[in-house]
Amino acid sequence: MYRSKILAGLLALGTALAAVGCGGEPEGSPGTIKVGLLASLSGTYQAIGTDMRDGFQLYLRTHGGKLGGHPIELVVADEGDGPPTAVPAATKLVKQDRVSVLTGIVGGGSAAAVYPVLTEAKIPFIGANARPAFKDVSRVWHTSYLSQETGASVAQYVRDHVEGSVYAIGPDYQGGHDQLKGFTDAFTKAGGTLANADGKTRFTPFPTTTNFTPYFAQIKASGAKAVYTFYAGTAAIDFVKQYSQSEIKDLPLYAAGFLTEGGVLNAQGDAARGIYSVLNYSPDLDNAENRSFVAAWKENHDGPPTTYAMASYDAAAVLDKAIGAAGDNPTPESINRAIGQLGQIDSPRGAWQFSKTTHSPVQKWYLRQVRQDGRALSNMVVTDLATVGK
Amino acid sequence: MNQVDPYLIPALDGVAYGLLLFVVAAGLVLSFGVAGILNLAHGTLYAIGAYVAAILSDGSWLALLLALAVGVGAATAGGAALSGMLAPVPRGDHLTQALLTFGVALAGGSLLVMAFGAENLPVRVPATVDRPVDLAGHAYAGYRLVFIAVAAALALALHAVVTRTRAGMLVRAAVDDPDMVACLGVNPERVRLGVLAASGALAGAAGVLGAPIIGPGPSTAATVLLLSLVVVVLGGRNGHSSVVATLVAALAVGQIQTLGVALAPTAAPFLLFAAMAAVLAARSHGLIRRWSPA
Repeated sequence: MYRSKILAGLLALGTALAAVGCGGEPEGSPGTIKVGLLASLSGTYQAIGTDMRDGFQLYLRTHGGKLGGHPIELVVADEGDGPPTAVPAATKLVKQDRVSVLTGIVGGGSAAAVYPVLTEAKIPFIGANARPAFKDVSRVWHTSYLSQETGASVAQYVRDHVEGSVYAIGPDYQGGHDQLKGFTDAFTKAGGTLANADGKTRFTPFPTTTNFTPYFAQIKASGAKAVYTFYAGTAAIDFVKQYSQSEIKDLPLYAAGFLTEGGVLNAQGDAARGIYSVLNYSPDLDNAENRSFVAAWKENHDGPPTTYAMASYDAAAVLDKAIGAAGDNPTPESINRAIGQLGQIDSPRGAWQFSKTTHSPVQKWYLRQVRQDGRALSNMVVTDLATVGK
Repeated sequence: MNQVDPYLIPALDGVAYGLLLFVVAAGLVLSFGVAGILNLAHGTLYAIGAYVAAILSDGSWLALLLALAVGVGAATAGGAALSGMLAPVPRGDHLTQALLTFGVALAGGSLLVMAFGAENLPVRVPATVDRPVDLAGHAYAGYRLVFIAVAAALALALHAVVTRTRAGMLVRAAVDDPDMVACLGVNPERVRLGVLAASGALAGAAGVLGAPIIGPGPSTAATVLLLSLVVVVLGGRNGHSSVVATLVAALAVGQIQTLGVALAPTAAPFLLFAAMAAVLAARSHGLIRRWSPA
């Protein structure tokens, strides 16, 4: 009670100061809006974090540095490996830089830990990657996906195209559990059979598992006709390289797209050829938004853009529309309200919109296969899958 | 299909993995077990070798040999540089040695990431062995078979050097009685330099040859150091038998990590450390003797 009064007082003071600040500007010229971007620019997730930063900056660069007609001052901070670095960085963005909106955040742990800082300051958060469970999503939006959706979207396809049982294997942490559960629930619901001994997904110790040979022997013994998996980062490289020379090398491998996304595909090389993966994006999607996105990305980068860059690019697109609709003097509150009223968002992944209940995208998923694209290997679209989200 | 068949490949792979651990840990055993120097930058020396392999490998045997020469050279130089840094540290002062070398490992890790980027780099294996080989109806990675042969040869050579040559004898003598060795006209400083350089050479060789199995990336040094320390602790004992003891320990860890996981997958998360705890509980004197100054 007492605290909320103080907060209200501070807010009023802040608004008054902001009004004073605007006083010096010429009539009719829209004021600068500060946007905070928090992403891992060092540590384990550096590759993903820099992709997200570059995706957001690419949108700004190709849109004259403005979102919704307002010049944008982008304040970038390093999330590091998790909450110990992410929370101080977010606190600085909110308290010192006084950003109006926050975007980015690679890790689920970081997002969950930063959440109280944002709720206290009543700042909207446009997450561009991990989405942990939140109690209240009224100021939380994600341009990425929910972890269960990846596997759920491909389950029916695997059921239709694999004659026999499927072995499910993944890393033993929350993200791995969510990813695999999404697949196994939808797959068994569609009438599919898991080849796993007790019908339960095999979870491998994370991050300590570097040698998958013993698991491959089990998969062979199980009589599975295909494998479904989710790994990312170093584990994805080890899994794919060892799979290609194992005794189950001829079993079709279906995976959540992260198995072969971005830098790991380069490290896997030929071993990744032929792997099927499901994701909400593929750089070879044939639509106008994507063609200009990929072309602009390749001006400054060697490889094609990743889903991480795309989701962050879309976070900027969301803000572009929302700030434009938030009145002459957009506040965190009015921007958040405007996001809630957005319709379809044109995106490199195809048009999508926010779910009213989960505040994450209702979007189409794609089945991709690793194939030769010019000189390099690339994930290329095989077919459209289900549209997931509600 | 009979009961044993599904476990053939994990058992064979355990040998390959165990031998990799042996080559990696042998350098650490040499410096720690034989010469009493605790070198926590050992994993970083492996990473140097692995990065060299990633940069130079192009799928030919010649490139692999070149990578081996460059990687071993660089890691040997790294070991020698460490020896220089350790010169002012008194013998047997393991805490200072650990702090110093751990600092070097942290700085070295950052330098490697700055030089090669934060991504795991691909390593190309010579094309002739970059394919699965048929073994009794099972497929197994060809490179790993070659690796088993090469690592076994390295193990034999190392054992011969430590037990049969004058250099090996000097190293063991310098541990037992450095004053007497000095009286005989051999500078203990030079013995330490030699041991750390040789230990670096082993780490570099392991890095180049093992890169297709444990590849170069930001977490390589830590992974390798942890596994080597487990092998060193499990190996226990002091002095001349350490090469054999390390080989046995490394092969055991290899089997625990492969055959053990295949037999009891639900226990996989703690299998290795449970085995380590059991060994330590049964014969802790091996470890205690190791830590006391020679």
